[in-house]
Amino acid sequence: MEWVGSPVCDGGGMSKSMTHKTSGFVLAAWLCTLLGWVVMTAAQEDDRGTIQPAQARQALTLIHARCAVCHTTDLIVQQRLPADRWTVTVEKMMHWGADLSKDEAAVVLQFVTARYHSGAPDHLPSIEEELALTAPAWGPSTASDGPLVGVSERGAEIFARNCQACHGEGAMGGAGPKLARNKILKNEGVFWETVLHGRGPMPAWGAVLSHQEISDIHAWLATR
Amino acid sequence: MTVSRREWLRTVLQGIGIGAAVGPGFPSIATAQGTEAGQGTGPLTVRVTRPFDAETPVREFASWLTPNERFFTRSHFGPPSAETVQPDVWRLTVKGLVKEELTLSLKDLQQLEAVTLTAVLQCSGNGRAHHRPKVPGVQWERGAVGNAQWTGVRLHDVLQRAGVKSQGVHVQFQGADRPALATVPLFTRSIPLAKAFHPDTLLAYEMNGRPLPLLHGAPLRVITPGWMAESCMKWLTEITVRTDETPGYYMQQAYRIPETAVRLSSGLPGSAMVPVEQMPVKSLIAAPAEGDTVRIGPVTIQGVAWAGEAPVVKVEVSCDNGKTWEQARLLGESQPYAWRQWQYLWKARQVGPTAILCRATDAQGAQQPEKSPWNPGGFLWNGWDRLSVTVAA
Repeated sequence: MEWVGSPVCDGGGMSKSMTHKTSGFVLAAWLCTLLGWVVMTAAQEDDRGTIQPAQARQALTLIHARCAVCHTTDLIVQQRLPADRWTVTVEKMMHWGADLSKDEAAVVLQFVTARYHSGAPDHLPSIEEELALTAPAWGPSTASDGPLVGVSERGAEIFARNCQACHGEGAMGGAGPKLARNKILKNEGVFWETVLHGRGPMPAWGAVLSHQEISDIHAWLATR
Repeated sequence: MTVSRREWLRTVLQGIGIGAAVGPGFPSIATAQGTEAGQGTGPLTVRVTRPFDAETPVREFASWLTPNERFFTRSHFGPPSAETVQPDVWRLTVKGLVKEELTLSLKDLQQLEAVTLTAVLQCSGNGRAHHRPKVPGVQWERGAVGNAQWTGVRLHDVLQRAGVKSQGVHVQFQGADRPALATVPLFTRSIPLAKAFHPDTLLAYEMNGRPLPLLHGAPLRVITPGWMAESCMKWLTEITVRTDETPGYYMQQAYRIPETAVRLSSGLPGSAMVPVEQMPVKSLIAAPAEGDTVRIGPVTIQGVAWAGEAPVVKVEVSCDNGKTWEQARLLGESQPYAWRQWQYLWKARQVGPTAILCRATDAQGAQQPEKSPWNPGGFLWNGWDRLSVTVAA
């Protein structure tokens, strides 16, 4: 292992003092690891379970995309429940049509059980605030080899799952604006900017929908 | 986030036409400051943004009637589109075990005798946040309740016009609101015929002298005075007379409480669950407010008290964390179903922090308990109201 940029790497051979410094560094690193372990363990105990950052991000993304079809996520963040009641709640939502696979439901359940347990603090950040904090610089699939071609038939289904709760059946509007024949469809720059990064009350979907899926939605909306 | 939440609310509220419902000259929720969750500085404290579930800050309860734009709001799916409840489109159908099916417009209904009464409307989950262990659901604190004047027609008169067949025992209500997904059960409820036939059970089209706002069920909602609000169906479009209680989630699983006393976290094996109906006796302190500093000397404590179908006969206040209780003065006249305002003049003598508590007793002798019995839905909280103040020299 190399410690790039550390004071011991002076380009010469290993002197006595360097050996001493190195062992000091090893000790410091070991102490840091130990401290890290202690802090992490304490944090895990506080969270009543382990949530890896990648898993947390997946759970947050799923909650944002799937639960918010019917209700905003503030309803979730205000709960402080034991694991058994979370289990029943997630099962009930699945039964009612929450669009989660078994594996996805398990990820969501693990997250809410760890984060919103009976002993958790009264005030916790919103799902959207947490998503913003953990957002990667790009969405699930940005790279594309050629221009994206939206497929209208797929777009209808993706719209129904993700957008319809606010923009209404057939994109005729609801809590959010009517998108059928909306002039934003002719201005693709604004359309993509709004979908990827959100605008006003509309959340950002860049971390939830792939570019292909957004193209599909656009293609379908253009037929409305 | 702050800005977007506010903008979101503005969009939602404009979308459902609350500006128009509130009318000029009244501060609309849409333009008021601080409508965010937990702040308590605006007219409503938002618990859930969509569907819009928001409670009234208790200081508003210093007034006898709760203004429409400050009245708590709760629904499972949010209001239906404004077009579906326009008077020229909207119709009420009365069907099931009736001699003659009816389809009525709002004008048809308004031909019947108009009745006005003042009644408390309260969400069954009001105070859910106080239950321990905590219970899933909207974490209402104290303000999912209000007192309003309702004008409408007697449900009895409408049912009589249709003619209820002798097998008809339950009256089912369906509103025009719909869930985002077709897989979610509809919010359908029923009440027993005796309550439906009660001369004070109304189909209301006015709230505090104004047309029912969309958020509160325009153009027509049920008012079952003395009963919890889940019986008071909003956006009413269908009345069905049936032999049995409505099947389905919102009648058979939700809004039920154990018939017998509940053991903590027992899971209630063998305990029969019955529908939530009457409101238990309850009182709230409207002033001073939680965390206030008051001056040593006379301090006016005021609030409201109500019970289901029985009048409140006594309100007591404790200013020493429940050690001693003094009787408060009940104001005005007792009116069935409305809340009663009360006042107590406290002579604050000792500097420092203290708790102020209140509890009410109804004519049947039922008294507000220190804590309500725990139940799995977190319904019917009516524990002593309690707030902390500091007495300063």
